[in-house]
Amino acid sequence: MPITHEYQSASPVKAPVEHRFSPYTDNGGTALAVAGEDFCVVAGDTRQSEGYHINSRYQPKVFQLSNGSVLATGGMYADAVTLVKRLEQRLEWYYHQHEKKMSVDALAQMLSVILYHKRFFPYYVWNTLGGIDGNGKGCVFSYDPVGNYEKHHWNCTGSAGHLIQPFLDNQIGFKHMQGIQRRFLTPEEVVRIVKDSFTSATERDIYTGDYVEIFIVTAGGIDVQRVPLKRD
Amino acid sequence: MEVLLAIKGKDFILTAADRTSARSIVVMKQGEDKSRALNKNILMLYSGEAGDTVQFAEYIQRNIQLYGIKNGVPLSTSAAASFTRKELATSLRSRNPYHVNVIIAGTDPKTALPELYWLDYLAASVKLNFAAHGHASYFTLSTMDRYWREGLSLEEAKSLLNKCIAELKVRYIANLPEFTVKVVDKDGIREIDL
Amino acid sequence: MEYNGSAIIAMKGKNCVAIAADRRFGVQALTLSTDFKKVFQMNERVFIGLPGLATDVQTLYERFRFKTNMYKLREEREITPSTFARMVSSTLYEKRFGPYFCEPVIAGLEKDGTPYICTMDLLGCITTPADFVVSGTASNQMYGMAESLWEPDLEPEELFETISQSLLNAVDRDAISGWGAVVHVITPERILTRTLKGRMD
Repeated sequence: MPITHEYQSASPVKAPVEHRFSPYTDNGGTALAVAGEDFCVVAGDTRQSEGYHINSRYQPKVFQLSNGSVLATGGMYADAVTLVKRLEQRLEWYYHQHEKKMSVDALAQMLSVILYHKRFFPYYVWNTLGGIDGNGKGCVFSYDPVGNYEKHHWNCTGSAGHLIQPFLDNQIGFKHMQGIQRRFLTPEEVVRIVKDSFTSATERDIYTGDYVEIFIVTAGGIDVQRVPLKRD
Repeated sequence: MEVLLAIKGKDFILTAADRTSARSIVVMKQGEDKSRALNKNILMLYSGEAGDTVQFAEYIQRNIQLYGIKNGVPLSTSAAASFTRKELATSLRSRNPYHVNVIIAGTDPKTALPELYWLDYLAASVKLNFAAHGHASYFTLSTMDRYWREGLSLEEAKSLLNKCIAELKVRYIANLPEFTVKVVDKDGIREIDL
Repeated sequence: MEYNGSAIIAMKGKNCVAIAADRRFGVQALTLSTDFKKVFQMNERVFIGLPGLATDVQTLYERFRFKTNMYKLREEREITPSTFARMVSSTLYEKRFGPYFCEPVIAGLEKDGTPYICTMDLLGCITTPADFVVSGTASNQMYGMAESLWEPDLEPEELFETISQSLLNAVDRDAISGWGAVVHVITPERILTRTLKGRMD
């Protein structure tokens, strides 16, 4: 008769030890982009958090890409970094193969394809892409994690997206304004509205704060501004 | 699966209810009248949990009739709707609430002013120009949005109701061969053929 | 709260307050009415907005109307907004373990004319901020709008514009509120009531 100890299982096969692992996390933060007539403004706060913990007060999630466009990310930072790395690699290949920089429209489509290729294990990232299109006009594209995308004039995503989006509708899109001439705003006006958006969002959204980094994309290049926000 | 419809007209309310009595997936009876006259000029259509419906409708009916007998004045449509809402609201937070949706259609006998109230089992009450309960609302409200206007004549309202029922026959999965169609105006409640 | 959908906002101004609400009544995604009343006048200087489950909106209004009438008869004076808020709060807390699904907003002027606004959760926990309060399914959107547009010491007409813009732009980004709006601006002299057209989608 085999010796059995009472702490040993009587069954011949040991029950497998279960480990629960979640591959995703949400690092919070807010990003927005506004297309002007011949420029584009892309902005994002620099706080990185996990639950109630702040990992970093300055970890930018808005990336300047080598083709002259700017990609603002939200959601899981690790996935965002990987995604940007892949995009940069593809942009470099494209440059060497075609001896020109990829257009923003082409990049927009490619980003969608890259995201959809991981349809069943997606990059947990909400992207907003801004730049100047082939006709010299400002353009904005926004994405969900599986590559569904849309072209906008203005868009805001992330933890304070619900707070800022109606404000942009009002201030950039002149929604519910009567007796005024609709027009394209100047870069200065857009930057002012973007700063107001982020200071307001910081008041109410705990995941938004510390700094806002604003990229102003024009035909002449990209200008970056860093504006402090409340740190609480 | 039950269908209740009502359309406000110039000086009347046109109502329709299906005549099917069903238990689960089985049709038990055709020819059921899913309405009760609360008094001479107010009609209540009801749908919902079997058992609850008739019990609740007759409870409301008799209390409103009692009010008329006690006071010698019939209750107005808005008052009848308020009373019904209050009863449903009290029932909602009781140990076994009534699961009954109703439409209250009434026309003032003196002023000929038609009023239509929509109440769900949660006791939310709204005054509407046209109303529908249940799945039927998803099929008919758009038609009524398109064709309803202030001051419809009876013929126009009937034609609109026909459009709604035709839509149900085409697009709704349930088999609804018969409808009870009633008109509530200052002279009282009468059943009509469409 | 998401069953019927609603959006209510109140703001303080200079010697005035404003309260505004959308007008939709629906059952989940189905809109049934676009003239549903969610803001109620309790007396010359007190308004209450009741967002939430429509049945409780109506039940609560009936109860508050009864209670303020009884208060007036017993005390021979009108109830002030701060006292009314306490009354609303205890009415809600009475139902601590089977609550009314409604998060009220109260706006009014105190006896000496100071503006008063407050909101509370469905159990009756009161918050009284210095600037504005929002409640309902579009509350995130209204927070964003009001936080950017509001400033201290607005005159009645400026306050009207601010609260209207805050509400209208907010409800356009919420699928189950909107379909028109109503705004009340309360000043010591008069009450300004305007109904606004909005997007019908």
